[in-house]
Amino acid sequence: MKIMPCPLNGPRNISEFTYGGELKQMPDPASCSDAEWADYVFNSDNRAGVVTEWWMHTASSYWFLAERHTVSDQIIRTFDPKELFNRRIEFSAPATETPA
Amino acid sequence: MMTSLQASQCLERSPLYRRHAGATLGRLGDSLVVSRYGADDEHAQLQRCALIDLCNLPRVGFRGAAAADYLRERGYQLPDAPNRALTQSDGSQVARLSQNEYLLLGSLRDGGARIAAEERNWQFGASANYLLPRQDSHAWLRLTGEHACAVMAKLCGVDLRPAAFGTGAVAQTSAARINVIVINLGDEALPCLQILCDRASANYLWDALLDAMAEFDGRPAGIDALLQR
Repeated sequence: MKIMPCPLNGPRNISEFTYGGELKQMPDPASCSDAEWADYVFNSDNRAGVVTEWWMHTASSYWFLAERHTVSDQIIRTFDPKELFNRRIEFSAPATETPA
Repeated sequence: MMTSLQASQCLERSPLYRRHAGATLGRLGDSLVVSRYGADDEHAQLQRCALIDLCNLPRVGFRGAAAADYLRERGYQLPDAPNRALTQSDGSQVARLSQNEYLLLGSLRDGGARIAAEERNWQFGASANYLLPRQDSHAWLRLTGEHACAVMAKLCGVDLRPAAFGTGAVAQTSAARINVIVINLGDEALPCLQILCDRASANYLWDALLDAMAEFDGRPAGIDALLQR
């Protein structure tokens, strides 16, 4: 079976993992256009080459990032998301529109 | 006149209670556990290959950036790395499941009273330490004996032999195709693997383990033999 190295649990069978989609830069929800937000939510790059993706080790519910070549399916590197997400982001509640 | 049975008069039942028909039951804290299955002494069975239902022994989890400090303040020794576990002086066990998550397993000596109290006494506050109730989410089995790792080799892809998976090692993985937490907290005298799985799958895993144990003459055992060793 294909083996994926989990940053928390070590090398495990690929059947223990769940795919979580491409890593994407989130546009600022307060200032971006609807089209930009829809593109972020719904569209994927689907690039042929090395991509960074979210994966979860299902048995421990641990989310991490993996660099994978989508043509050869070779896993190049897996790492803890703290490498990229190292500060807290606060979301302010949007101003509620008054009903007409 | 009909008499009605109050829920408060009932002891907690294991999700595996149908498997315990005919066994001698005992009391452990506020719940029922199997003392032994037959009239025979089960010490030799424990040493060879035995499966014990510990579902009614208290367990709880804590998670958050402040969880480690909270537990240290309450007198627990914590493993220094994720996927490691430590037995406490009172026989309770603490497994570290990630950077900030801990799983506490009750001791047979006090019927898990200390761990049950941790769950009762926790209060939501400003500090980042969150309670993870585990009693009703996870089933807890113990696989004992010299063949324990050979049994697991039939069900699980991770190398659980003592050389690779020594005392204090934790594996969060898949066994018999369901998610499990396997903790090696045995000793020289009795090899032991603690196995936790989804509580709703307890009957399935119980049968899968017994099936894998059959070739080693493995059987269920009660806690009497564990307590009197």
